[in-house]
Amino acid sequence: MATNIELTQPAPAADLAPRLSVLEEVVQFVRKKPLGAGGAFIILVMLGAAVFADALAPYDPYRADYGAQFARPSAEHWFGTDEFGRDVLSRILYGAQIALFVGFTASLAGCTIGGLLGMVSAYLGGTVDLLLERVMDVLLAFPQLILALAVASILGPAVQNVVIAVAIPIIPRAARVVRATALSVKENVYVEAVSALGASRRRVVLQHILPNVVAPWIIMVTAQLAGAILAEAALSYLGLGAAEPTPSWGLMLSGSASAYAEKAPWIGLFPGIAISLAVFGFNLFGDSLRDALDPKLRGR
Amino acid sequence: MRPLLRRQPFLASVLVIALTVGSLLAGAGLAPAAETPRRGGVLLAVIGADPPSLDAHQESTFANIELVAPLYSTLLQLDPYHYPKIIGDLATEWKIAPDGLTYTFKLHSGVKFHDGSPLTAADVKATYDKIIFPPQGVRSIRKNAYTAVTAIEAPDSSTVVFKLKFPSASLLANLASPWNVIYPKKYLDQDPNYFKTHVVGSGPFKLKGYTRGSTFEGERNPDYFVKDRPYLDGYKFYISPETSVRAAAIRSGRAWIEFRHLPTAEVEAIKKQLGDKITVQETPMTGQWGVAINNTVKPFTDVRVRKALTLGIDRYTMGKVLYSLTGLKNVGGLIRPDSEWGMAAAELEKLPGFWRDAEKSRAEAKHLLAEAGYPNGFKVVLKNRNVKLPYQDFAVFLIQEWRKIGIDVENRPLETAAWFNDGQNTGNFELIVAPTVEFMDDPDQFLGRYATGSTQNWGRFSDPQVDDLFSRQARTLDPVERKKLINQIEKIVLENAYSMPGLWWTRNLVHWTKVKNYVAPPNHYTNQKLQDVWLAEE
Repeated sequence: MATNIELTQPAPAADLAPRLSVLEEVVQFVRKKPLGAGGAFIILVMLGAAVFADALAPYDPYRADYGAQFARPSAEHWFGTDEFGRDVLSRILYGAQIALFVGFTASLAGCTIGGLLGMVSAYLGGTVDLLLERVMDVLLAFPQLILALAVASILGPAVQNVVIAVAIPIIPRAARVVRATALSVKENVYVEAVSALGASRRRVVLQHILPNVVAPWIIMVTAQLAGAILAEAALSYLGLGAAEPTPSWGLMLSGSASAYAEKAPWIGLFPGIAISLAVFGFNLFGDSLRDALDPKLRGR
Repeated sequence: MRPLLRRQPFLASVLVIALTVGSLLAGAGLAPAAETPRRGGVLLAVIGADPPSLDAHQESTFANIELVAPLYSTLLQLDPYHYPKIIGDLATEWKIAPDGLTYTFKLHSGVKFHDGSPLTAADVKATYDKIIFPPQGVRSIRKNAYTAVTAIEAPDSSTVVFKLKFPSASLLANLASPWNVIYPKKYLDQDPNYFKTHVVGSGPFKLKGYTRGSTFEGERNPDYFVKDRPYLDGYKFYISPETSVRAAAIRSGRAWIEFRHLPTAEVEAIKKQLGDKITVQETPMTGQWGVAINNTVKPFTDVRVRKALTLGIDRYTMGKVLYSLTGLKNVGGLIRPDSEWGMAAAELEKLPGFWRDAEKSRAEAKHLLAEAGYPNGFKVVLKNRNVKLPYQDFAVFLIQEWRKIGIDVENRPLETAAWFNDGQNTGNFELIVAPTVEFMDDPDQFLGRYATGSTQNWGRFSDPQVDDLFSRQARTLDPVERKKLINQIEKIVLENAYSMPGLWWTRNLVHWTKVKNYVAPPNHYTNQKLQDVWLAEE
């Protein structure tokens, strides 16, 4: 009996890896991945701007002040005003809401649908796999933005349509990644073992395959976020995304910016910086997260 | 008592504009006497689009007329120096019978088409038959302007006669339309759509070459019937849809004129760089940007709601704000203000939406909305064309104004074809941005769209009183009497807010100063023949 007890007792955790508190994990992440932490910081600032836009924005983003058109950046208007006298800073803060909303919903929706299809494809195999994969091939054959453009021009310009347009090209990409992971997990001996022990299909998928797929799925979501934000900006820039007078970064960059580049460069400059920073932040964070979560890369 | 002009800032500004335009016209009209025209040189120009086809009878875009007008002659024309005076082109003289039912035109002798064949009355008849009574499968955009005409006759080779069923006040103006270019009969007999892809004209220039999306060129017609014209050896248009590309072409001297319009911001930059080498002719435009209200859908079946919409817009502020951004400037009703038929400002200011006191208008709008059962306003979609200038900027201003009276409006930009389809063909809209642009201030052209069942009546309303007044004004030859009827139509449409005019456009015609003798008319369709234009040596 004594041997049995010894056997079931877990080996002391300290010997393998120290269990860390959340704070310690964060500190370690910052120390090991300063770039990723920088990315996370940018994301946090952006989130803050989006959530607290009402409180932070000095002006109503829609309010036109016809006495203050093309005002230079000043104490009154930090980022200046646009051709209608609207405060550029306030519009950028509210623009963060749209960018994040489109980014998160499109990326989450695309990855979730793609992930589910990938799982189904991997687990069922055979004809289902073959058919689903060929559909994904077709979708993958189009460059991401071209496909989004096609969808957006069919649906017409509106924020919810942009979400759909941006989400669709993400589906095949997520499906591929999840399917590949699920396939390799499926072949593991322990999966064979639980199946042999009579576990239901549901149990195998939900308890044994799914947890193993979550890590790449999360990486996929963060990686696509940056692309989704950029796609939203591109669609709005091309007149297929949000429509005036909605404060969208891409839109702010398109209409007014090029026409008034000489007269009032700040109209285009600040939304441009906002887009670049957001994409940069999400990319840095996504990369570091992948490194942190990928066991093969861990510790390098 | 204060001086009149200080009490009436609008009147003052109108006067200033009128004086400026007047002196500009007079100055330009005198210019040829002061300088001796020089022969030679090819005029380089830029244009923003390719024509859908080359047949001016079937098109209504500047992209057609600017390119082909120099290749053709018309029966009458608007005086290049004195808009809207009507003068002859092919016609040397004309007589209108006392009963107003017969118009007789005498044609220039010795006019030749570019293929060498003579131009006779038969060609004019064939052309107008095509315009007024188009054969099956042939589009004729301006057919409705000639409902009075019953027949065209060519009794001999130099006489053309138009027979009417009722006297028409606008016929002469419509015969001066730049779109009604004269085609040789023998080609029309072969195929009425021949001129969609071919050019055989009698104008001051002959077609030299056209490369779609790139260039359109004409060369001097040595056999042109006007002696010593044209001055130019030819003209060449570079085609680019990008405003910034066209502006850069002017700025760098690769092209010398943009006949339509360049945004003020670009014009400022060009002027700053080129100084005296550049001339900007700012002209009012026979075009108005407004909103069509769908009178058949709720809540716009209620006159109170429609009135609230128009009351909610402060047009005087809008004119100040949008002018520098888009060129939209003058407050007016359904006919261009300051034109022969336009309503006097004092009269206009009594109508809803045109009051000077914006706060009072807004209070009234809110009151009407509450009365109509919308004390908290409502949500509505404004369909629009996905063109930045002036469509999107116009919408931004409107939406901002409507927010102040509680109406929450979503702007929905559409592709040109979809926008046309929803507005004109199917009526699938609640509110839609709808411009009204014609080649001259002709009441038939501008007011026809408010008649029941007109294809241009995007708002789909019907008022028998308007219909009756419209057909009466079209037959009224006495201008004073006619103007009264026209003002009545304006009053009824505006008081019932069937349709909502916004602002009248102005344009910047930008050209190098070395391009001489071109007077910009108040639209970009007329005075495009270029026969009097010449280039000064540098």
